Amino acid sequence: MPPIKVENPLNLTTQKCTLGCPILNHFLDGGVPCNSITELVAESGCGKTQLCLQLLLCAQLPASRGGLDAASFYIHSEFPFPLRRLRQLSLSFPLSNSDDPLDRIFVHAVEYPDELLALLDRVESLLSAPSSLRIKLIVIDSIAALFRSEFDNKPSDLKQRSSLFFRIAGKLKSIAKRFSLAIVVTNQVVDLVDSDGANGLQVGNFGYLYSSGRRVCPALGLSWANCINSRLFLSRCNEAGRITTSGSEDQSCGELGVMMTKRRMQVVFAPHLPKSSCEFVIVREGVFGVGS
Amino acid sequence: MEISSLPLSPSLRSKLLSAGYTNLCSLSSISPPELARALNISNHEAAGVLKVVLQRSRVDGAGESHAIINGARTAWDILRDEQTLTRITTSCEEVDTILGGGINCKEVTEIGGVPGIGKTQLGIQLAINVQIPVDYGGLGGKAIYIDTEGSFMVERVFQIAEACIQDTLDNFSLKHKDFQVCEEKMQPKAFLANIFYFRICSYTEQIAVINYLDKFIAEQQNVKLVVIDSVTFHFRQDFEDLALRTRVLSGMALKLMKLAKKFSLAVVLLNQVTTKFIDGSFQLTLALGDSWSHACTNRVILYWNGNERYAYIDKSPSLQSASASFSVTSKGIRSATSNSKRIKVM
Repeated sequence: MPPIKVENPLNLTTQKCTLGCPILNHFLDGGVPCNSITELVAESGCGKTQLCLQLLLCAQLPASRGGLDAASFYIHSEFPFPLRRLRQLSLSFPLSNSDDPLDRIFVHAVEYPDELLALLDRVESLLSAPSSLRIKLIVIDSIAALFRSEFDNKPSDLKQRSSLFFRIAGKLKSIAKRFSLAIVVTNQVVDLVDSDGANGLQVGNFGYLYSSGRRVCPALGLSWANCINSRLFLSRCNEAGRITTSGSEDQSCGELGVMMTKRRMQVVFAPHLPKSSCEFVIVREGVFGVGS
Repeated sequence: MEISSLPLSPSLRSKLLSAGYTNLCSLSSISPPELARALNISNHEAAGVLKVVLQRSRVDGAGESHAIINGARTAWDILRDEQTLTRITTSCEEVDTILGGGINCKEVTEIGGVPGIGKTQLGIQLAINVQIPVDYGGLGGKAIYIDTEGSFMVERVFQIAEACIQDTLDNFSLKHKDFQVCEEKMQPKAFLANIFYFRICSYTEQIAVINYLDKFIAEQQNVKLVVIDSVTFHFRQDFEDLALRTRVLSGMALKLMKLAKKFSLAVVLLNQVTTKFIDGSFQLTLALGDSWSHACTNRVILYWNGNERYAYIDKSPSLQSASASFSVTSKGIRSATSNSKRIKVM
């Protein structure tokens, strides 16, 4: 264990991992921050996994291009692993070195929360080994899937569940701090049926979150919301439109003028970001923000 | 009244004199263990000496009997002290008003609320505001920030510091002209450098740092604020034994209270909320349980009301229950923009 010492905020810097798109980077004030847990929450088909895959590649970019210049680790609990899509994305991410970017992405599946905790212990010892690989990004896709089958709605189960949340988050944060990693987790949503929502409880900037026209709220409840540092909500608008993207790397798709579903990213809460939202599209080359 | 006239053994008398206790008054406000240490005698002997002193001063009549309670302070003195204390502003006028002028020094204040309500923002704002120089109506103190969750983002602290300095200078430029001298102190970088930041990754580390604070603050001089963001996070994992957790927490709270008194500084503890099963329904409450709710002097709850953030005084020995709205802007915590009646007394 490294000793605890007092730090001068002037010497602290927040390194960020680019998302590979200037608009999204601007929206997140530089990208996904290190030493912190960022949650992407959305219903299925909104682009959580797409964004995660893109991040796995972006983390390998050199610092001059906003990356972390390191390998990344992908822990998935939803099957199957979208290998073909990752391959496709990697082709549109030219890296300066000749290595295949897929060589520097480690993939591991987990099915149970305890398995994840054990895996994180192993990751920690791997990272602290002297001859270790430089891993600077851990993606967990998704945290919700680990908990959705195991636990009942009984008070004792709920208590056990939230204690696991805090243990996982505590572990992730301590690894993140020790090795200055960026941590990204994805979460699912649940539909809200009663008019009052979850006891009228509002978490974050937005009173209501809508996706595909339905009112939803992030899964895993209040205790998990206490565990993360930032929460980003992705949603889908039903109407498709003709969109011109203005990302630097995707001039071509703007010219194609394909019909695409509009998607939106919202900052639900984050210590460094204001309440805001941004539109994005998913194209063959990846996920890109749409300029207003 | 001289020591030499007391019915004590010569050796004790000379010990008293050589330690500087020449008259009865000087012995009136000292406790037996203190005296024992000063004279290098046993606690029992020291208690005996004080008993003799007490008897003697009673015999001496009403005139000098006040001397015996010199160590105690009247409520009037304490009140006067309190009135001269400067409070740390929250940068939101309405919240300051319900807090009686801001966060009080010498007290432990707990602030709780749901994720995203602005607890960390308020914590950072206070860590900046405590540094507003005395010339500008602040405390000119330093801050200790104990981060257990990793939400302390330097870029955001810088932003809030910049806005705070700008606003303070704007307010004062009208009244004074000769503040060039202070300009160099009024730099965001200087404000950042005056925050002592601890990043904590487990509850044992948290306890260790709190135990170390006494020594640290004594060395550093002029620390006026300790923020723990949040006090809760590490205590919600790995605690099978809830009775142990309660003991550890109350020990921690006691230490923090002592620090607040000793160094006349404000302690601000940020807490999370949790749901509690009461009468067949789930209700929101601050985390760490019922016994923890006794640990803090003041308790402020932040909550959403529609699209506005509100602060509510849940517990305080001196303040009325009231709520006031505030907002979180790019500059930090500020007054809410809407013009509805903002302060509501319960």
